[in-house]
Amino acid sequence: MKEVPVKIQFNNEWIVVKMGIGEDRIAFPAPVNKEILFKTVADVAEKKNILIITVKTDTETVYRILTVEKVLQVLKKFILASCNAYRLMAYFMSPAIRGGVMIKDAQWDKGNVVVVRSGIWFVSATKQICVPVNDVAEIELTKRDVQGKPTDVIKIDHLEGGEVTSSFVLCPLSTLQVLYNFLRDTTKSMDMKGTELDSVDQQVAMLVYSGMDSHAIENMLNIPHKQLDAIYDKILKLGLGEVITIRREIQLTTKGVRYISDATKSQTP
Amino acid sequence: MGKILIVDDTLFMRTLLKNILFSGGHVIAGEAGDGEDGVAKYKELKPDLVTMDVVMPKMNGIEALKAIKEFDPAARVIMCTAVGQEQMVKLAIKSGAKGYIIKPFQAPKVLEEVKSVLAS
Repeated sequence: MKEVPVKIQFNNEWIVVKMGIGEDRIAFPAPVNKEILFKTVADVAEKKNILIITVKTDTETVYRILTVEKVLQVLKKFILASCNAYRLMAYFMSPAIRGGVMIKDAQWDKGNVVVVRSGIWFVSATKQICVPVNDVAEIELTKRDVQGKPTDVIKIDHLEGGEVTSSFVLCPLSTLQVLYNFLRDTTKSMDMKGTELDSVDQQVAMLVYSGMDSHAIENMLNIPHKQLDAIYDKILKLGLGEVITIRREIQLTTKGVRYISDATKSQTP
Repeated sequence: MGKILIVDDTLFMRTLLKNILFSGGHVIAGEAGDGEDGVAKYKELKPDLVTMDVVMPKMNGIEALKAIKEFDPAARVIMCTAVGQEQMVKLAIKSGAKGYIIKPFQAPKVLEEVKSVLAS
């Protein structure tokens, strides 16, 4: 086993230990005194430089490991190759579309798609990309032109720093169907009937998606502020949006009117 | 900043694109509701860039793109279509499109694409 210094959260404190890393396990010396077999890892997530792994034996334990990028890459590579997850070899393209614009130099990577509890990992020799399940907006079986032929692929739309990004997965159709069903099942908490919003509500949602503010939406759809407010309430209630800014409209008091009148007079020669 | 012609059969998408492009400081040269009108408006207005919907009545976006490129080989056209029609990308690029945006789109990315095509 090779040893690398890492920080691990232990009893709510970050401590430095020399972690042993092998092909099927990692080991932490005292005071942690723990050996983790990769096959017992039920979930892998990453936040900044912190790797969060959930180990399931008789009970579930969460470990948070902080280390340099190079060590994290090796660690993720080993864990994702052996952890308890749905895993398949596939070609993937991530990201392929960002904000509705095709990425011109996007290429197919050959690697593994690993679906864990909290996310979908795309792993190749040069990439380790995680799409958290909570950020998945849509999963769709569609066709894409691959080497001149329309080919079945899975398209995964996800939010990345507020931008809607699409990734594609390509593998044999039978496997694709299994993966599609698995992903649909993993993200089913996001499913809706599609009849919750009427056509005007949908237009409002589409304009919000495109980055329009409430003033622009009112002008574009020619609807009064109160109607837009009611539609926003509906969108918020359904969990389809969140409030980012509250704007106010004011009118001047007598004192304000007097102030402006005086100011105007003083500007008159 | 450029003079842009918007070709799309839905008023909603034309208005949305107009707002996005206007917010990016571009001038809207004109609008057209189908491919045929789009080609005619291109010849009349000679815009710096065209945003062209793919599925339209009378003449579709690919045919309109070809007609515009025949009239002006240097024309800058960005194709604009709905999710699920991505296979049209290759055909459009082969026919001379400079860029491709997929509906629904986000304003900052559309402006980035327009800027990059105008600079090309």
